[in-house]
Amino acid sequence: MKNYIYKLFVVCCILITATSCSEDFLEESPTEFINESDLAESGELNPIVLEGTLNGIYSNMFTTGTGGTTNHDDLGHKGFDIYADMLSSDMALSVGNYGWYTGLTQLIETIDYTSNTNYKPWRFYYRVIRSTNLMIKALGGNDAVVEGENAYNYAQAKAMRAYAYFYLSQYFIKEYDPTSKVLPIYTAPDQPNQPQSTTEEVYNLMIGDLEQAVTLLEGFDRSAKYQVNQNVAKSLLAYVYASMGTSESNLKALDLAKDVAAAYTLTTKEELTAGFNDVSVPSWMWGVDITVDQGLDLVSFWGQIDIFTYSYAAVGNTKSMDRNLFDAIHDNDYRKVQFLDSPGHSFELTPYKKFYNEKREVFGNRTVTDDYVYMRVEEMVLLAAEMAAKENQEGVAIAHLTQLLEKRFDDAIDYAYVNTLSGQDLLDEIILQTRIEMWGEGKSYLSMKRNKLTINRGPNHLNHIGEDIEYNDERLTFEIPQSEIQNNPFIN
Amino acid sequence: MKTKFNGILTLLLALVVQFTFAQEKEISGTVSDETGPLPGVSVIIKGTSTGVETDFDGLYKIKAKQGDVLVFSYVGMTTSRKTVGSSNQLNVVLEGSNLLEEVVIVGYGTSTKQSFTGSAKVVKADKLELKSVSNVSQALAGEVAGVNVINTSGQPGTSSTIRIRGFGSINGNRDPLYVVDGVPFSGSINSINPADIASTTVLKDATATAIYGSRGANGVILIQTKTGKNGESVIEVDVKTGYNFSYLPRYNTITNPNEFIETAWHAMGNRTLDFDPSNDAVAYANTYLFDDKRGIHTAYNFYNITDVANLIDPLTGKVRKDVTTKYTPENWTDYGFQTSMRTEANLKMSGGSEKTKYFASFGHLDDEGYVINSNYKRLSTRLNLTHKPKDYITANANIGYAYSETMNNGQSSDSGSVFWFVDNIPSIYPLFLRDENGAMIPDPKFGGNIYDYGDSGRGFASLTNSISDAHYNSRGNNRHEFNGNFSINIELAENLTFENKYGVQYYSRTYNSINNPFYGSGASNNGSIYQTNSDALTQNFLNLLRYTKNYKDHNFEVLLAHESNQYKYNYSDASKENVVNLVHGLDQLNNYVVTSSPSTGYQLNSSIESYFGQLNYNFNQKYYLTTSVRRDGSSRFAKDKWGTFGSIGFSWLMNKENFMQDVEFVNFLKLKTSYGLIGDQAGVGIYSGQNSYTMNNLNDNISLGVRAIQNPDLTWETSKIFQVGVESTLFENIVDISLDYYIKNTDDLIFDRRMGPSLGDALIRVNDGQLRNSGLEFDINTQIIRKENFSLDFGLNGEMLSNELIAMPIDPATGEEKVLDISGRYGRSVGHSLYDMYLREWAGVDVANGDPLWNVYYHDANENGTVDDGEKIKSLTEYKQLNPNNKISKETTNVYQDATQKYVGKSAIPKVRGAFRLSGRYHAFDFSTQFAYSLGGYSYDGAYAGLMHNDKIGDNNWHKDIQNSWKQPGDVTDVPRLISDRNVNVNSSSTRFVTSSDYLTLNNLKIGYTLKDTFVQKAGISNVNIWVAGDNLFLLSARDGFNPSTSETGATSTYRYSPLTTVTLGLRVKF
Repeated sequence: MKNYIYKLFVVCCILITATSCSEDFLEESPTEFINESDLAESGELNPIVLEGTLNGIYSNMFTTGTGGTTNHDDLGHKGFDIYADMLSSDMALSVGNYGWYTGLTQLIETIDYTSNTNYKPWRFYYRVIRSTNLMIKALGGNDAVVEGENAYNYAQAKAMRAYAYFYLSQYFIKEYDPTSKVLPIYTAPDQPNQPQSTTEEVYNLMIGDLEQAVTLLEGFDRSAKYQVNQNVAKSLLAYVYASMGTSESNLKALDLAKDVAAAYTLTTKEELTAGFNDVSVPSWMWGVDITVDQGLDLVSFWGQIDIFTYSYAAVGNTKSMDRNLFDAIHDNDYRKVQFLDSPGHSFELTPYKKFYNEKREVFGNRTVTDDYVYMRVEEMVLLAAEMAAKENQEGVAIAHLTQLLEKRFDDAIDYAYVNTLSGQDLLDEIILQTRIEMWGEGKSYLSMKRNKLTINRGPNHLNHIGEDIEYNDERLTFEIPQSEIQNNPFIN
Repeated sequence: MKTKFNGILTLLLALVVQFTFAQEKEISGTVSDETGPLPGVSVIIKGTSTGVETDFDGLYKIKAKQGDVLVFSYVGMTTSRKTVGSSNQLNVVLEGSNLLEEVVIVGYGTSTKQSFTGSAKVVKADKLELKSVSNVSQALAGEVAGVNVINTSGQPGTSSTIRIRGFGSINGNRDPLYVVDGVPFSGSINSINPADIASTTVLKDATATAIYGSRGANGVILIQTKTGKNGESVIEVDVKTGYNFSYLPRYNTITNPNEFIETAWHAMGNRTLDFDPSNDAVAYANTYLFDDKRGIHTAYNFYNITDVANLIDPLTGKVRKDVTTKYTPENWTDYGFQTSMRTEANLKMSGGSEKTKYFASFGHLDDEGYVINSNYKRLSTRLNLTHKPKDYITANANIGYAYSETMNNGQSSDSGSVFWFVDNIPSIYPLFLRDENGAMIPDPKFGGNIYDYGDSGRGFASLTNSISDAHYNSRGNNRHEFNGNFSINIELAENLTFENKYGVQYYSRTYNSINNPFYGSGASNNGSIYQTNSDALTQNFLNLLRYTKNYKDHNFEVLLAHESNQYKYNYSDASKENVVNLVHGLDQLNNYVVTSSPSTGYQLNSSIESYFGQLNYNFNQKYYLTTSVRRDGSSRFAKDKWGTFGSIGFSWLMNKENFMQDVEFVNFLKLKTSYGLIGDQAGVGIYSGQNSYTMNNLNDNISLGVRAIQNPDLTWETSKIFQVGVESTLFENIVDISLDYYIKNTDDLIFDRRMGPSLGDALIRVNDGQLRNSGLEFDINTQIIRKENFSLDFGLNGEMLSNELIAMPIDPATGEEKVLDISGRYGRSVGHSLYDMYLREWAGVDVANGDPLWNVYYHDANENGTVDDGEKIKSLTEYKQLNPNNKISKETTNVYQDATQKYVGKSAIPKVRGAFRLSGRYHAFDFSTQFAYSLGGYSYDGAYAGLMHNDKIGDNNWHKDIQNSWKQPGDVTDVPRLISDRNVNVNSSSTRFVTSSDYLTLNNLKIGYTLKDTFVQKAGISNVNIWVAGDNLFLLSARDGFNPSTSETGATSTYRYSPLTTVTLGLRVKF
């Protein structure tokens, strides 16, 4: 009997030992992602890992769903470029299958605070702000003194923060009014929801960040065009100043734009119709090389715009140039061939030779590896011209305008008329050239706002054709979304 | 061996008895149940310890004298008492249903209906087997009060969503815990063949579930697989064959192409009138009805007429009688849906001796859905073997394996959905491509005719054709699944056992999404494959000590245990395109030569460690007490990993009291109450609380993206559950009534607290707020008629549920509770349920101009009697909170955005829901029906809303209700003026589409016939049963096509695979 109990005891001990847990039984780390402590440990061993957090901010710019939805127009910065072009009316939704952009172009969602159309840009740009604040905090905070490689990283984070605030200010504030209160400001990742700051405070923050970035980025030789270098920071700062509309700020914008305009060669006539799909084109100041690893397909800029991609554009969610704008393009202008001028064609006035996949087979390209352009030197050339025109430096303005137009025409006769322009006529011409040159790149909207334009849609739109709509019409600016009003106790 | 032993015992008894009581006689007979002779039944003379057991053939012999009472008892059967009369022959039939002594499997042990202090409802195999389903979750529908089974898809092989006692959490887990043969189950419930299940027990209250600690808060479903019986070798074969088809009504959409054209023409005419009422509507409609941009694309004009003036008579608005067509567009439903076969066969063998018992089974299921290429095929097998190598050791191995193949074509939530096409494609669009003469075009690749992908400008879903895709593409997975457990029970000493159990579940699954290289989305990349591979291993170790002691009238059972559970999941995927071999290997990555997106792969690990104990005590089998404590640690939480849970429960068998002895109509009466604290850990992610980054490639540099903010303090959600209940059997066992009332307060709710997204994050998961679920559950069963050849039973169960938020989470920006949190169509605030609708209020249609109207609430600050800018209230609840004294007025508006969001007084939670069953037997025929009902709730019918649109003509189909649209001043209707691509907000989210979710369904109907004649028995067959059964035969709801039983809130989706109707013919033979 004793023996039996002894044996049982041994069996039980074996069973219990075999099945008991070790001390770290309940400690688990993810492998799908990397957690902060693993990142810190890995970073100590291999510092290059830490630099990945800055790249993460740039990846945000093209990552789908960053506007907080699974909508197929929620595709990062370029997605809001499309919104902007549509609001400015230069991009017409001329057939609305599948429903994307319908409510936007009907201008009903921009006044419905419950609509996700308002939520997505708000969510996206504030998401960028949070990731920059995390980076800035990691490098010592807003007033840190940083040196060497860290200074470049710090400067990029600050420039990206300003970039995000800039787009928020354009999309959510009707017009520059220093005393208006629209945007809450966050400069650290651990702040709770904040009340709305004055527009002046938002601008001061952007200007401070960008001025510091411009200084710190001196000598920074970036490894790829997705990074913000000094010229990109200068361009952002030029846009900020230009949007304020004071003479003083216009002059600052002019200086900055002139600097940048001189630093790059312009897009050539051939490149104008080469597809806008390659970041290595020298005129591209800021953009990203999209590769298979980014995993983009239908939900992408190309999936919305390019008829040669497996895209909504190809299946009757047609984005075309406003007919009136197209008609305003000189017949000899190389940019006129970017758009399909074939009345009645289902792809009429689509940018079939501006943005396209090189296969040029309708609905043909499935995996998107065509690149994204964020900024081109032409916009700074045109901004310099615009600022100069506004500040009565007409010679400077015409010189910049000509710098562009000589790359758009074969025969100087065709654009000689600009030399005769002055005053508002000259400014109007510069604005027109900006709209033509930058179509589909999200810049017309910025121009519309800072130049206080009245838009009027051409006949190939589906709604509001021929109706005059002022730049500060509430339908052209996004509403603060319901989730902010609902969940930020300081905003009602 | 056993027979020999019995013989000796009988002989000995006989000798003894003969010596003492010479006047006794020998009584003999057979004890049987409905299936035949029953071995091992204990036969005891009442008031003595004298007794025998029946032998292998159910025979017994015992010495007794006239007037003695023989007590026949067998586990799981009603004890029968017979008085010895003049006859020496006494045959007894034991009945097995609904008995107090029946063994009930409960958490980590067994109990009986009589002695269990909590709420456990047993659903036995006979009920589960009535239904033609692939898994037990579907079969549970309607069986248990307070258990809501939601069949979310008709795809064969789908597991149902189960909710026990309301909505346990806001954003945390609401799923119950499945436990199979005592091991927490993390695999697919589909891998357990329902034919192998002996019984299912649903544990609902704290006493029943607290022993599962951090996993019991949402109820527990215990599944016990079949075992062999001592001395009884059985071979059972059942074969079922039947048809699946779409029988429940779908939306009443426009299916006649002419009717569609007429409606579109009307909508187009209204368009110009909307610009200017003096415009010529007929001319405009004639011009733009077929128009490549504003109207229906000219390529889809299937009439032999291009001038619309000759097509439609402007006086009637109808297509002229003499009009001819190039072709008749196909009815897509006819091609998307099919009548398909369901076949199932199960072979079961079981038996055993004193030392060894076994159950073995093999099952085959081939279940074809009514959507083309949707099916589920399964081979399953199980072996359950118990052996006693020594008297004090019992070893058991119970292993099941299932291989399944699922095809679920045509079911994506996008343009690949057959359902979306069937309900939403305008009936003017052909399924097959037509040439200019309207003739179909032969397909050189696959044969048949080429499908129309709408690339000529079809307004609806252009460049897609879900029916063609469902034919030529493939979405499906195959899955190997193993589950098993190995246990050893050692009797250490008298009344003390040590139980060790190792449970293991493993599956590996390969999913392939293959697009053909010729048509559809794969054509542009010459065919493509997206493949995922996943496998998961769950291991569970249990060591348990159990001690039982009976001392006089005091009966104790104590158990102490340690359990650990570890889960490892591996995942990888790959996408490739440009296919080579079109004959073989379409599901192999090597067969595609271009990588189309980066491969991924990762592992998920989680673990739980637990210590627990339980004490069961009863006094004189009249007063029962159960208390349990469990301490759980979970790896899911970053910091606060450990939690302690427990419960206490009492029950009182009132019918055993002396004062009840005279109350004759009460056969059984139990009062019970319990209280407990139970957690839930599954509501948070496996790595909750760990802030982390995604790892990406940005031009060959590392790119780390900030993921959503995490809360490191996140920990257990705890529920305090109180229950009182009564169980009774009345009127000579004719009526069974159980009632339970419970209050479940869940604290530290796992709550996705929304934040102003300007923070950079839109929500954070916190433990905050408090939710109360309370409810009354009833379960009534009556034997209306109980005669030898005729019986009729009626059962009714149901729940009345209420759900209320008691506290909202604190907003750190103010330090106060949030006033309101809007989640979709529901508002969350104190005093409201999770599913109280927060919407804009529909105010009908303007009689004068047909405009849609909504209510706008406002504070008339300037007292001018009307609403001005700045006075409109966006969201009423918050406004009232901020301005409690402002007088609020109401006005209607035709501008959707101006309407006020508010609580509209309707909830998705019904007042009462449940099921009832009528069943009976007439001679050899038996029948059973089960109906489910729900009353008093409301749901949002979004699929219907989509069919009541003002979009551009040709972009979507309409519901026939659109014909009631406003036509002229004075029209009183609820459908606004129909205008092509104007006033598109008419069908935006509002109370317009809030629909009563009352429903009545006939879940199941079965009629059977049992052959038991001598002919059959001579053939060596003991029982032959033939039946015909139907599932999902009938649905009554507020609107055809609206099926609120398919989602938790009853909300509809245009992509949903509505439940399939099955009619089955079955045959069961027992040898």
